[in-house]
Amino acid sequence: MSMLRTIKPKNARVKRALDKREPQLVENEKTAIFVRGQSTSDIVRNVMKDLYALKRPNAINFSRKNDIHPFEDTSSLEFFANKNDSSLFVTGLHSKKRPNNLVFTRMFDGRVLDMIELGVDDFRGMDEFDSPKSSVGVRPLMVFHSDLFDVHPKYQAIKSHLLDFYNGHALTEIPLIGGIEHVISITAGPLLNSEDNLEDEKNLPKIHFRVYTLKLISSGNSGFKIPKIQLTEMGPSIDLSIRRIQEPDEEMLKLSNKRPKLDKSKIESGLGKKKKNIETDNMGDKIGKLHLEKQDLSKMQGRKMKGLKIRPNQKLTSVNDIVIDE
Amino acid sequence: MDVTSELANYAAANSTTVLNRATPIITDAGLLAAFDNTPVDPEEYRANLNQHLLALTLTSTQSLITSLFGLPTKSTSSGKLTILPTPETILPREKPLPKPKPLTKWERFAKEKGISHKRKEKDVWDEELQDWVPRWGKGSKNRQGEEQWLHEVKAGDEADQDPAKTAKSERKARIAKNEKQQAGNIAAAARSSASALAGTSSTKGELSQEDKKSLRERRKDELQRSMLISKTSTASLGKYDEKIEGEPKVKGVKRKFEPTSTKDYKGEKESQLDVLNKLEKGVGKVKKSKKGSAGEEGGLNVRKAVRFQGKVDRANGGGGGGGGGAAGKKGKRR
Repeated sequence: MSMLRTIKPKNARVKRALDKREPQLVENEKTAIFVRGQSTSDIVRNVMKDLYALKRPNAINFSRKNDIHPFEDTSSLEFFANKNDSSLFVTGLHSKKRPNNLVFTRMFDGRVLDMIELGVDDFRGMDEFDSPKSSVGVRPLMVFHSDLFDVHPKYQAIKSHLLDFYNGHALTEIPLIGGIEHVISITAGPLLNSEDNLEDEKNLPKIHFRVYTLKLISSGNSGFKIPKIQLTEMGPSIDLSIRRIQEPDEEMLKLSNKRPKLDKSKIESGLGKKKKNIETDNMGDKIGKLHLEKQDLSKMQGRKMKGLKIRPNQKLTSVNDIVIDE
Repeated sequence: MDVTSELANYAAANSTTVLNRATPIITDAGLLAAFDNTPVDPEEYRANLNQHLLALTLTSTQSLITSLFGLPTKSTSSGKLTILPTPETILPREKPLPKPKPLTKWERFAKEKGISHKRKEKDVWDEELQDWVPRWGKGSKNRQGEEQWLHEVKAGDEADQDPAKTAKSERKARIAKNEKQQAGNIAAAARSSASALAGTSSTKGELSQEDKKSLRERRKDELQRSMLISKTSTASLGKYDEKIEGEPKVKGVKRKFEPTSTKDYKGEKESQLDVLNKLEKGVGKVKKSKKGSAGEEGGLNVRKAVRFQGKVDRANGGGGGGGGGAAGKKGKRR
């Protein structure tokens, strides 16, 4: 933050852009930055590429190497976060001690909230699966399996993190037909040996990250029935092992978990966001203001004469009717 | 060629059958998420991992879809939309909740006086032109004095004065004054946020730049205050001390008065009644008499009364006693 100068807005556009970066009552979707460390492996790069493809369009990919070690020094991450107004990070690293390393960092108010470090054990990329892919910007469904996500603090952290990463921004409405294309499935393995202890870091079961495309099969001709589903794996398929986890500072977590008190009417009318060009008059009628483009006078019908008549083969495209309702 | 495994994979991929779950799958429709808290079966997990994962996903996704299709919908021009409930899982925000903007000096005053905001129109009516002219900018009422082609020179005006120039400099001075007031408001807001921070000084080490800055300001103020105190701690109260470069100016304490008129008269009424009550009870007098209150009985200081009576008696009885008293005083002073 110290490296960023404070910008004094010189015009209204810049001011609007800066105001958008201020704390909001109803927040925008978190943006993720994908950044590589000084040395990365092929696997890590491919994993990041696929995770980035799933997160788009709310993701920024940094193509250059950066000397970043999130668990040692977070200053450069904080700098990137403030510069790009984003709060999620995926850092790819590779070293002898921690091969194929992925660090997920979450920020709050420009500072690091928590971090999880995962090692990639097995990976199959999206292009290895010969199947249709989901379109960009479609919200995935997310499913978590295993009791560990409910009880074990480390797995709870991972659940919170990954859920926040892809589905953290709550939607108010979604088209169920055509609005759901894929599902991200995250499963923690079971304890393989009965004498294994969860206290020991080495015994922590792996996490399996799978993505499937989803097909709804309506069971009858009635539209009200709940459809059955069919899944096809679309990739990536990643097996992850848990490494270091930095838990959030309690004060900071408390601050970040605060929820605004919104009136119900406010929620209904745009979730606390200012609605432009819509007002209600004293009679309680809703009045909308429309800004129309300048009329194209070249196409206006002038005086009709035989010589100026348009022949059927050179007919102009029909002008769309503009319907204005309240 | 063994195709049985491939066939099995194909069958698994096209199945819609779900697993039986002992505990129901928790769904959070607001976040489009489902949580299956049943432990993963180790046998299946070890034998055929990917098929088991697919079966698990199918089960949980099916229950999520079931809950999503049970939600209320609304129809729009682009199709049917499902209205999602607010999420149950609490995920951290990106930034803290927005703080209310600190009031400016004028806003505070207006609030106290109950002045409501009046929107200024962009244009003002010009009586002479009988037309609307802009309030500011080119050809505005604001610049009329500068832009008009003829100026009236009043008797007693200096010959070389330029009325357009004076009008302009006056306008510029108004702008400068406003900017100064704005800066003051910003500084006051920063100061108040600093004092708010001092109240919750539990955040350790990890302070944002703004917090650090306000802390520095506070420290600076503190140092300046202590420096002023130490400067006045000499015998001459700092009168003959050498001046230090950049020394802060000594500011006296400004007396503060209650506002002459407040928004509601409740407080004023109370304070007036308070004064009356004090007069009635004679609060101040009682306090005074407390000094020698040994003989106080029912609001009458008996000892004092006796002393006073004695004085009166002596004065009435003969001048000698009074004169003696005066002489005694003289002697004391010497």
